[in-house]
Amino acid sequence: MSIGVEPRERVLAATYACVARFGMGKTTVEDVVKESGVSRASIYRLFPGGKDQLLRETVGWEMNRFFASLAEAVYDAPDFASLLEGGLVFAHRSIQEHEVLRKVLDTEPERLLPLITVEQHRVLEFITAFLLPYLEREERAGRVRPGVDLQAAADYVARMILSLIGSPGRWDMDDPDQVHTLVREELLGGILV
Amino acid sequence: MTSLIAPPEASSLPPAPAGSIEERAVRAMLNCTARHGLAKTTVDDVAREAGCARATLYRYFGGKRELVRITVAHEAARIAADIRGAGDAESTLEDAVVAMSVRAARELGEHQALQFVFAFEPELALPHVTFDAGNRFLAGAGAALAPALTRFVTPERAERAGEWLARVVLTHALSPTSPIDLTDEAAARALVREFVLPGLVGDETAANISHAT
Repeated sequence: MSIGVEPRERVLAATYACVARFGMGKTTVEDVVKESGVSRASIYRLFPGGKDQLLRETVGWEMNRFFASLAEAVYDAPDFASLLEGGLVFAHRSIQEHEVLRKVLDTEPERLLPLITVEQHRVLEFITAFLLPYLEREERAGRVRPGVDLQAAADYVARMILSLIGSPGRWDMDDPDQVHTLVREELLGGILV
Repeated sequence: MTSLIAPPEASSLPPAPAGSIEERAVRAMLNCTARHGLAKTTVDDVAREAGCARATLYRYFGGKRELVRITVAHEAARIAADIRGAGDAESTLEDAVVAMSVRAARELGEHQALQFVFAFEPELALPHVTFDAGNRFLAGAGAALAPALTRFVTPERAERAGEWLARVVLTHALSPTSPIDLTDEAAARALVREFVLPGLVGDETAANISHAT
């Protein structure tokens, strides 16, 4: 691990590497000590809850990274609908190609999914806050339906986006026409004119 | 349905007040789960709760795994029928979607066994409603809810609407941070009218809007 990165970050990155190699159940604090080069005492000072807290915070850490890279991929989209279309396609592909996620979902879903659910509310807040300025821009351009509460709209879209990223259901995210219909009709039908 | 759900002997049983063996077993399984959770409930517990012999349950269901599977299937069908019924009683698409959302949220919220599992044993439930399993769940729920909407929209669109409705309810009703209480009719109506319905009616409205602009 590189010198200069703060210990907390090094520990989380190391835990992630251990989970990728051994899985969530088999990863031990000892493994994380070896992988991170951070002492056992320091790890317990940073994460008093031990392994459980390490795993929970590592899931949150990776979810943050995932959604930060998603935000970076779409931030300069020309309008709200294009932002959502690009975001759904990017997120869907990233999830398909996320080897650690796929592996843990296959082998230890019962360990991973409750932690994702616990961390989900922070992701929702992040997506909602990220979307709001784009909706405000749409409103200034006169493209928001009259009477729509932007905060409520951002919350609704964030929840549906998060749901669609995990489970697209009937929608084929590899088909641009379908993503177009999904976003512009189903998702934004009540929000944009 | 399989012979396990409707065994031939069932019809020859005396009409017990609590219904057939499988109905009693399902009810007992739900009661035990609401009290102690799914992991701790044993076939013995269910037999005691149902007032029947352990051997009877084994003969009907083979074991706990099948008993759980049948209980889930039974409850899913009952809840879906109940939600459809709420929609069938209404005369406009908006009223139907609102009534179905409210009924679905109440069914989930008042379901003690389900609430216990989601609160204390999420690892047993989440693998069935998220990621790839979530796709199967949504497809099933969409198909189950669609018949209540075919009076208002085309069958293809009813399936799409059914799935979207299931997604909206699942997303809001199971989220502790949701600002919207879907069991409250006024709150559900505001959400449906403002955000959900315009997406469900689709083409026609979308076409009108694009003509207007």
